[in-house]
Amino acid sequence: MLHVDRVTKSFGPRTVLADVSLELHAGQYIAIMGESGVGKSTLLNLIAGLDVPDSGRVAIEGRDLAALDDAERTRLRRARLGFVFQAFHLLPHLTVEKNVALPLALNRIGGSSARERVAELLDAVGLAGRRHAWPRELSGGEMQRVAIARALVHRPALVLADEPTGNLDAESAQQVLALLAAQLARDRAACILVTHSEVAAATTQRILRLTARGIESEPRR
Amino acid sequence: MRSVLTVWQAAVLGPMWRSPGRTALTVIVIALGVALGFAVFLINRTAADEISRAARSLYGLADYAIEGDAAGFDELLYPAIARLEGIEAVSPVVEIPAKLADRRGVIRVLGIDAFRARELQPSAANLALAANTVGGVVGSQALTLSASAARDLGLTAGDAIDLQVGMRRERFEIAGVLPGIAFEERAALLDIAVAQWKLDALGKLHRINIRLAPQANAAQVAQAIERLLPPNARLVTPGQSTDDALRLSRAYRANLTALALVALFTGGFLVYSTQTLAILRRRRELALLHALGVTHGRQFVHTLVEAALVGVVGACVGVALGFIVARYALALTGADLGAGYVRTVSASLQVNAFEWLVFVALGTFAAVAGAMYPAIQATREATAKSLKSGDASHAPPRAHGFVALVLALVAGALSFVPAIGELPLAGYAAIAVFILATIIAIPSLLQRGLRPLPTLPFVPAELAIAHLRGSGRYATLSVAAIVVSFSLMVAMLIMVTSFRGSLDAWTEKILPADLYLRVGHVGQTAFLDAAQVRALRAVDGVERSTTARFAQLTLRPDQPPLTLIARDLDPARVAQEVWLTDSSASDVSAEAIPIWISESAADRFDLKPGRVLDLPLGGARERAVIRGVWRDYEHPSGAVLIDRATYVRLTRDDAINAVSFWLAPGASIDAVQEGLRAVLGDRVGDRAQNDQRTKRELRRLSLQVFDRTFAVTYVLEVVAIVIGLFGISAGISAQVLARRTEFGVLRHLGMTRAQIARMLASEGAVLGTLGVVVGLVAGAVISMILIYVVNRQSFHWSMDVFVPTLPLIACSAVLIGAAAAIAVASGRSAMSGEVVRAVKEDW
Repeated sequence: MLHVDRVTKSFGPRTVLADVSLELHAGQYIAIMGESGVGKSTLLNLIAGLDVPDSGRVAIEGRDLAALDDAERTRLRRARLGFVFQAFHLLPHLTVEKNVALPLALNRIGGSSARERVAELLDAVGLAGRRHAWPRELSGGEMQRVAIARALVHRPALVLADEPTGNLDAESAQQVLALLAAQLARDRAACILVTHSEVAAATTQRILRLTARGIESEPRR
Repeated sequence: MRSVLTVWQAAVLGPMWRSPGRTALTVIVIALGVALGFAVFLINRTAADEISRAARSLYGLADYAIEGDAAGFDELLYPAIARLEGIEAVSPVVEIPAKLADRRGVIRVLGIDAFRARELQPSAANLALAANTVGGVVGSQALTLSASAARDLGLTAGDAIDLQVGMRRERFEIAGVLPGIAFEERAALLDIAVAQWKLDALGKLHRINIRLAPQANAAQVAQAIERLLPPNARLVTPGQSTDDALRLSRAYRANLTALALVALFTGGFLVYSTQTLAILRRRRELALLHALGVTHGRQFVHTLVEAALVGVVGACVGVALGFIVARYALALTGADLGAGYVRTVSASLQVNAFEWLVFVALGTFAAVAGAMYPAIQATREATAKSLKSGDASHAPPRAHGFVALVLALVAGALSFVPAIGELPLAGYAAIAVFILATIIAIPSLLQRGLRPLPTLPFVPAELAIAHLRGSGRYATLSVAAIVVSFSLMVAMLIMVTSFRGSLDAWTEKILPADLYLRVGHVGQTAFLDAAQVRALRAVDGVERSTTARFAQLTLRPDQPPLTLIARDLDPARVAQEVWLTDSSASDVSAEAIPIWISESAADRFDLKPGRVLDLPLGGARERAVIRGVWRDYEHPSGAVLIDRATYVRLTRDDAINAVSFWLAPGASIDAVQEGLRAVLGDRVGDRAQNDQRTKRELRRLSLQVFDRTFAVTYVLEVVAIVIGLFGISAGISAQVLARRTEFGVLRHLGMTRAQIARMLASEGAVLGTLGVVVGLVAGAVISMILIYVVNRQSFHWSMDVFVPTLPLIACSAVLIGAAAAIAVASGRSAMSGEVVRAVKEDW
């Protein structure tokens, strides 16, 4: 589903990623850990098609991102990727329901099927009763659950989750991670979880460590 | 000391350096506002100085002067005054505007007794006497030109000048040219006896300059003089005379100043707007500084100091710019900016340090005043909440609908307050208060305006509307910036269009004939007599004609005279010939002479139709009844219309200044003009025959004069609009630039750059539309205040309302388009870097 093949990326004289390769299959859930500045965000940018590598290849579902222009990469991202951010990044002027429905609207999916899918996701994340609430009225855990619903509502092939528990207390973090894993399994979506938390990483199927030497895989648990 | 500096750097200088664009923008708008205000002030002051200097050169060392109207008074008054106790020196003057025979224009001829004048105007009289070596002021037909007259006419000593008296030509030798310092006025000095003889003023004087004896009781002497005065003469001091001259242009100058101050007000508003946005953006930073120990009081001071720094820099740039603008404007159009109120002699620009300082202080005050409310707001932000929620503020702005309503009512009440010192000060206040009311009402209007907008099946538009609904404080500032500048532009546009349309309609109404001939005007030497008019009427193609004579009428000695228009009138048909705005019933006193007064005369003297007056005509007082009030855009000091036959009977003045010709059916206007020229050409040279105008030419000329007069107001308006656009730009761009993270998220979710641009264009267009709609309504209200209060009180003329529909639609479209374009451009700028990194604070 995702092929990252010997990717190199430099910013000026500084090489951030050198010959990094990674492969991810449909429904696979992995964690990437690493020290700050090691290139985690650069790697995610390249996978999301928000940046292009200096060399190497990134392909999603067989489509080489380098062969696509910005508009095509955007359309691919819109249809096949989902994002969960540490700071939630819900749009403050949209209700919970509309935040979740936004990826569907961008993919021109409307009508009853869209409404049903949004309701299904909100029900799944336990926020069916708060669909008309504004983001500012939610707790951090609730906001991240809305973000998970938004990331999955359009049935993406790959979810990129960036420290989704970084702003949450331990209990909320636990709930969010469980919810994310359950939803990924339900939709058979692959996911890359970037985290500093061993606890969070432990909820994934595989842990990769990104270092200056490249990606090192930890043994399966 | 170092720690203090650090706090100031963090709180004041840091934000200024961090946002150089915002800082530069506010400096520029303050500079523009100050520049306009200072330039207009300097030009106005120069005009006033010119008028004062001109009056001073007429008065010399006199303490008083007796001024007659254009007809003059009996010269026997002079010895009577000279014999009064307490008077040291007296100088008689004949003062006649003489028509130049060989070119267009008029020169003021002052007939003086050089030996008498030497006591009151020693420099001018001595120099005039000195110039006498080539011809002489004394007794010979030679005159001395002032420096400005010689320069304007291109004449010098030894040349000759032809003046038209009646329809005959009088030639005068130029004996010499006075240095500029001796006599400021554009005039010619002539021996008084020659002036009386050659300029048809035998036995007449127009002015007597008087110097009191050192120990004289001025009040007693004045009373004694006033007892001797005929009805058409008045006793004035030099200051009073200057005031009268200034009064004519005061309203125009005051309106220009008000318009210039609008630019400064708009600049102050922009400071308010940018400071508010800055404080919204810096909530977390301010909260952090407060948490670290900077008191709210100190933060208040920081905000004001930042604004004051901007104000001082902007104002310093502004005064320098204003000085340059004033200098060029004076060189280009003269001290009255082309309005025709001041006959510029030699407008030189001098500025003193106090004036510089006042305008620097004014600019600084505008900036500080603009920052006052945001500074107070900064101290009210809840520290803990701001630290937690960051810089984004989604709190809706407070709606003060009741306050806005009260202010609107106050504005309404102010518009009914009469002029103060002949200036519409309450009218200006009404406009300022109404704008304030509109700004305060904007949050409520915004909520009402956004509520009915439908949910569109178009993601960028839906997101745009959702954003606007949720970002009330930002949206309010952007809309307010549009409303402030656009409403003033709309108001000026409606007012100027109404005035122009009314002038055009008025010209059409008062010019019913096909062809007009004017020979001389009030008090001028040129005129036609009855025989000459008969010859003109006999020209082939002329079906009928009417005649008019222009004179002056002194209603009250403390007021300048009115223009008296004696015209062939049928009292029953007056309404067809002038634009009556009010009239009395016809059964008014049959014995009294019927007269019709202009609106200006009605306002100045508080007169109404039906009122009976004693008019000083032909040396006696005649009972007259006001039969109506007419709209008049030609005589700013006021005019009185009277039947010419009655005028001739009462005054024995049968001279004629204007003839209106109706052509016979099928007659060629060119042939008739040629015929008239032939008749007139027998008497005066060809080059003086250009006072003949067709109706179309007169209409075109009057509109040209109008456009020239209002050209400067258009310039001021454009500058105010440019400042307003800066405001819109600052408001929208600050808002857009603060949303980089949001754009980053949207890019992650799959929105293309084009979709984000469409979203921003939609936001800009919606904000622009709301601002335009509110601006149109507010502008229409302000235009009514301008038309019915400010103009009426300033110039005493009424006008009908003409709405410039197409220009308003065009301006609205441009503004909405500009708002959308600014939003898109700001978005491009916001997304120019790696916008996706804005969301990567955690990656």
